Amino acid sequence: MFRRRFLFVMLACLSVASLPTGVASADERQAAASALIDQMIADLEAFLATDTGDVEVRSAEIDRVLNAYFDMESITRFSTGQYWRAADAAQKSEYGRLFREVLCGTIVRNFDQLNGLAYTPTTTSAKGDKFVIVTGTFTDAAGGRPPVAVNWRVLTRQGKPPRVFDIEIENLSLLVTQKQENVAVIRKNKGQFSALIEAMKARLDQPLHGN
Amino acid sequence: MKLCLELDHLRDHPRFRRIGTAALVAAAAALAGCSSTPPGDRSDARDRYENANRKVFAFNMQLDTYVLEPVASGYRNTVPEGGRTAIDNHLRWASMPSTAINSTLQGKFENAALATLNFLVNGLTLGFADLSEDDQQVDREDFGQTLAAYEVPEGSYLMVPVLGPRTTRSLTGNVVDFVMNPLQIFGTSNTADAVRTAQTPASAVSFRANSFEAFNDVKYNSLDPYARTRSVYYQMRLGLLEDRVAENAGSAVSEDEFDSLFEDAN
Repeated sequence: MFRRRFLFVMLACLSVASLPTGVASADERQAAASALIDQMIADLEAFLATDTGDVEVRSAEIDRVLNAYFDMESITRFSTGQYWRAADAAQKSEYGRLFREVLCGTIVRNFDQLNGLAYTPTTTSAKGDKFVIVTGTFTDAAGGRPPVAVNWRVLTRQGKPPRVFDIEIENLSLLVTQKQENVAVIRKNKGQFSALIEAMKARLDQPLHGN
Repeated sequence: MKLCLELDHLRDHPRFRRIGTAALVAAAAALAGCSSTPPGDRSDARDRYENANRKVFAFNMQLDTYVLEPVASGYRNTVPEGGRTAIDNHLRWASMPSTAINSTLQGKFENAALATLNFLVNGLTLGFADLSEDDQQVDREDFGQTLAAYEVPEGSYLMVPVLGPRTTRSLTGNVVDFVMNPLQIFGTSNTADAVRTAQTPASAVSFRANSFEAFNDVKYNSLDPYARTRSVYYQMRLGLLEDRVAENAGSAVSEDEFDSLFEDAN
């Protein structure tokens, strides 16, 4: 008798948990992800409107945007694939610092390309129970450059604010590309995580090629 | 070894002799790739010939530094935008017969019809001017995509001298597509010969010029430009094979790729 009542209660709980909440939360996740991207674009447009080209100011702004809108902890972890687990705490900390520095440098270096672009959101779709893809297009107001399709992969986890996890430009994932490059560097050095850190330091020590 | 035998067979075929320098260069690359890299030494399991591929990549980068990059830079700076668009239009037009045939073979009949119409209408100017008033874009389809549609395995990753990254399947597709070039089929005049001869280098310069900043970022600022190029190639090819690039229909990355994020958490 007790067992039957227990099963009934469990089934009732499961049906309540899966049906209405599942449907509603998918919509909510999409709305939250879409709002996050809209807010970030508005933020960047406001900055671009007053941008003087000062590299330090740009770096500070990018740092702020990364903190406010991106899940840097997950991005950092994902970017080294399965080798993250092999790294010790000091290596993880050092890699996180270098990765952020490389990322900021890359964005600052290409910052001028954002000028004159207008963003138009198009669609939003849930991917599994953790990701939402927000799709949009960047168009050049002057018409000199062809439109660029962009997918924002937003991490939407229960109880946590949505955060951007990856950007796909013309269906090319920036994070997956970085991860595959990092993993290649580690594998070419017999699985040593330290080799990736040394490679990043060497890269940062060299003058970067501007566009 | 299987790849070498396939190439031997191709070389003996009379049609193969007609398809010009590009295919010969491609064959040389594939032959260079016949020495397999031990699995433990590969930075990517798909890259069976990584050691040889990296040597070819180094050669390609030198070629880019001394030839392609300066030419593409000059092209961007001296040829007006209208001229560059006309050349892009022509190169796109030249691929239309191949797109029409490959779309048909893949059962994409609407795209095949659009490609045929585009080829006929724009043929009046050899494709340099886009006369089609239809806004509907033709999705380019190549023979490599057709082979994929018939579930032919993609084969090994190859870095081909001059041509760049390919898989065995896409390289085979390139050879067939080269034969389907309209000027290869119909062009018998000296002008047609000249235009046909100019298409391959023009295509390389146009691609390099159109992706100048992105290409330079990979070439000069990557930790491992070879690995980054390989990653970009596979992602772009996957997007094309699944018709996601043309339709902008969602992510080109398999969702499985992201599973490790939650498995690796500690």
